[in-house]
Amino acid sequence: MAGRVAKQSRSGNAGRKGATDQEEEEQPLQAVLIADSFNRRFFPITKDQPRALLPLANVSMIDYTLEFLTATGVQETFVFCCWMSNKIKDHLLKSKWCRPTSPNTVHIITSDLYRSLGDVLRDVDAKALIRSDFILVYGDVVSNIDVTQAVQEHRQRRKLEKNVSVMTMIFKESSPGHKSRCGEDDIIVAMDSKSKRVLHYQKTQGLKKLQFPMNIFHSGSDEYEIQHDLLDCHISICSLQVAELFTDNFDYQTRNDFVRGLLVNEEILGNQIHMHVTKDGYGARVSNMLMYDAVSSDMVRRWVYPLTPEANFADQEGQRCTHSRHNVYRGPGVSLGHGSQMEENVLIGRDTSIGANCFISNSVIGANCSIGDNVVLDRAYIWSDVTIASNVEVHQSVICDNVVVKEGVTLKKQCVLAFNVVVGPNLTLSEGTVVSMHHPDEEEEEDEDEFLSDDAETGHSKGVMKQKAFNPSEVGAEGKGYIWRNPSLDDTEDDELAQCLWGLVLNADLESDSESEASEGSQDPGSRGMSPELDDVKVFQTEVQGTLQRGLEENIGCDNLVLEINSLKYAYNITLKEVMQILMRVVLEYPFYQQGEQLNTAQYCTLLIPLLKKWAPVFKNYVKRAQDHLDCLGSMEEFFLEHEGHWGALVKVLMNTYQLEILEEDAIMRWFSQGVTSDKGKQLRKNQGLLKFIKWLEEAEESSEED
Amino acid sequence: MPGADKGTDLSERIEAFLAELKRGGSGAGPLRGAGETARETTALLRRITAQARWSSAGDLMEIIRKEGRRMTAAQPSETTVGNMVRRVLKIIREEYARSTGSSEETDQQDSLHKLLTSGGLSDDNFRQHFPSLKANVIEAINELLTELEGTTDNIAMQALEHIHSNEVIMTIGRSRTVEAFLKDAARKRKFHVIVAECAPFCQGHEMATSLSEADIETTVIADAAIFAVMSRVNKVIIGTQTVLANGGLRAVNGTHTLALAAKHHSTPLIVCAPMFKLSPQFPNEEDTFHKFVSPHEVLPFSEGEILSKVNVHCPVFDYVPPELITLFISNIGGNAPSYIYRLVSELYHPEDHEL
Repeated sequence: MAGRVAKQSRSGNAGRKGATDQEEEEQPLQAVLIADSFNRRFFPITKDQPRALLPLANVSMIDYTLEFLTATGVQETFVFCCWMSNKIKDHLLKSKWCRPTSPNTVHIITSDLYRSLGDVLRDVDAKALIRSDFILVYGDVVSNIDVTQAVQEHRQRRKLEKNVSVMTMIFKESSPGHKSRCGEDDIIVAMDSKSKRVLHYQKTQGLKKLQFPMNIFHSGSDEYEIQHDLLDCHISICSLQVAELFTDNFDYQTRNDFVRGLLVNEEILGNQIHMHVTKDGYGARVSNMLMYDAVSSDMVRRWVYPLTPEANFADQEGQRCTHSRHNVYRGPGVSLGHGSQMEENVLIGRDTSIGANCFISNSVIGANCSIGDNVVLDRAYIWSDVTIASNVEVHQSVICDNVVVKEGVTLKKQCVLAFNVVVGPNLTLSEGTVVSMHHPDEEEEEDEDEFLSDDAETGHSKGVMKQKAFNPSEVGAEGKGYIWRNPSLDDTEDDELAQCLWGLVLNADLESDSESEASEGSQDPGSRGMSPELDDVKVFQTEVQGTLQRGLEENIGCDNLVLEINSLKYAYNITLKEVMQILMRVVLEYPFYQQGEQLNTAQYCTLLIPLLKKWAPVFKNYVKRAQDHLDCLGSMEEFFLEHEGHWGALVKVLMNTYQLEILEEDAIMRWFSQGVTSDKGKQLRKNQGLLKFIKWLEEAEESSEED
Repeated sequence: MPGADKGTDLSERIEAFLAELKRGGSGAGPLRGAGETARETTALLRRITAQARWSSAGDLMEIIRKEGRRMTAAQPSETTVGNMVRRVLKIIREEYARSTGSSEETDQQDSLHKLLTSGGLSDDNFRQHFPSLKANVIEAINELLTELEGTTDNIAMQALEHIHSNEVIMTIGRSRTVEAFLKDAARKRKFHVIVAECAPFCQGHEMATSLSEADIETTVIADAAIFAVMSRVNKVIIGTQTVLANGGLRAVNGTHTLALAAKHHSTPLIVCAPMFKLSPQFPNEEDTFHKFVSPHEVLPFSEGEILSKVNVHCPVFDYVPPELITLFISNIGGNAPSYIYRLVSELYHPEDHEL
């Protein structure tokens, strides 16, 4: 006990830069490390080994993260594991982090119930593990950034304005096109340049247009920056409130949800997010194979100094290696055959033997591998205990533990040979081939419970192996393994790319295609389909419909309806603008929904108008600013464009909304005069009834002016 | 269990020191001076001597050697740590010899005959138990610490013998010893200092700021201008990271250029180096000689696309061969490079060269 106290007081004195009395009062810095990715990007590799334990430059990724935390002065780390938690636990208990002398006390918390970051943070809150500000990282973050300064800034901010800033995100400057920038993680951030407050945060992947809500520029500051040259390090300094907010908002799953939710509701909740941009220092998250490639190569090229391969920071026996010219690292007991060349950026683990006339460049080779003669390895990542026979060529591929590659095999770009696979002889694997001992069908069978325990898993796969023979045309005559095809799952957030091991390939064409434009407010109402929560929007729409129907049947007051819609809005993380558009749409569709599509215009009108009258207070609650009116009209237009037969009803609807004071005449006039792009839109505006109505409005205005 | 508690406290301290060594120098050379590292190492070794369990000098030497190996492995480029471990080992040997009453250590320059006949000097010699040994060793280490405290001052004291009025002196990068040396001379004499900036870390800028604050006329030049300016220079005074056993230097990048330019113009090159920087290492041990840091300073990470097309290296040290050096000024006086071997054999026991 005495030792612990002594340690804490000393580390206070030993002084990270600028240790003041004030800092000594502060609680020791804590961290939450999430040793689970909660996705299947690394499948089928992660079927056998959790992602945090995958070796990067021959050291498990979680060790990099823990080293980063320790170096930055964290004294207590909570590691949360779910998938294969036993393996992570075993690894950590054996590592230097769990020795009694470690300055960073590591607690391991496992549960099979974690399915997302949100679950973990809710558990943090429930168990009250954290006492003050903490650092939140994933177990696959590689970084050497000293966040001490950022932590201090964060604390300063919280002292100045009590509990306003809840999170500081760490970014690294890195211009677009950098290979360590993950295409999926490309973000655009709008911030207040003085206070470094994040005003808008959006992932840009797949978007051709970017929207910035106008209100972010009305927040009182006069300088704004919109940055696209930032690399999200996935390191955030959070205050205790973050965990509480996750508890309050049970629908938050990821940090992205959280950030977006917080920014949207900033006015309501009064919480702010800040950012810290570091110029030097390295930080990246290994979120897919492409990033694995990029981070490994940065590691070997010493970008993450002092976390270099020869530093042996994890303090493991026999991991010591030497560094010589052209970034060639050799572990103890490495033997190299006659005429073999290690050109540059090569890391070879202990007791690996390499045959004659090999050519190795930009590669990482693990421990106890044996490599034959005349082998060409370029950007190959070979893990431990791999046997490679002679005359093999490997380009930009990953070969996992215990794989055997027989003679004359060629691996083209972006191949993955998962654990224990045998391929060859004399075989060429085409680009992007993934071979695994797990049969792809197995995936679907166990779909219901993806988090089976280890034992059940292996037993199961053995059963499958007996059933299905290996296909010699796929893996060679002596091969063992199945070609892994990505089973299409639709429960993941981003279907189209979630299963792709290598992620997006950054090519120049894609870059030039994507244009970023800052449209003010909503110039085109039809663009709402671009927001990533498309599914949420649909669900929200049906929910609103249900609510309104119940309201009608049970005669619920408009105030209560507003309350219900508001709570739905938060549940599905819907912006105010979308609420308005959806509400309008739902009301307009309501008669069809009740009576079927074959209504004629007159019937439609008679059904709709009482509804409008009934729900006018609901509309008035949402439609307030001029922009809201336009959004409403836009949604109305959209609806009528889809229902050409009912154009006649448009005038009646407009008339009624005008009379009920839902919409103002200025807004209607503006909407009418606004340029329309589609032919149909122009046609709609030439509608006789509409023209009459507009004329009537104009006259009414004039007459009122004359008065 | 106060004993166990002491033990964990000690090992915690050692781990903390190791971790700091590993992380140290994440860019612009070591964050703290070599002098500080030397003092910290010695203080830690004193603590080990005081707190570890040992009954004879042999045990103690074994413990210190083991910890010393780990410390040097943690940051091979920081030779000061290894030097201090060797100094302490030497102290233990001497104290043991004194306790046994023999004067064996005084004539350590063994004759060839003695070397042949003595055979393997087994550690049996250090097995005897002396109750006073611990106190004596700690006392001697304290003396060493006092010596370390005074090194910079001792060197600075000699400044007036080497710097004369109206001289033009060139230096490179930032060395605390040289800084003190020049400032000391500036109290009495007026002279002009030209500082090579020492890209990419540009510690030269800090040096120039510090010197000009002390009212020394200072000019900063780019490293590329060293040769051009050399013709005007009367003396080159530099610091170093390590003095190697052959009298060469392992000094900050660009020093070799400077030394060659000085040689070409026959300008004397003076190296200010305290004795704790003297290492029994020779320059051919290439694995630990170099230190490559993050290439960030050379080509920033934000550069983007080009980084995937080029290889960028950022070495920190240069080797300067002994024939380019005129004089070493240490805390025990001035020495020629050819005399260094003698100092090495005086400071360290030959058996300790390999830890």
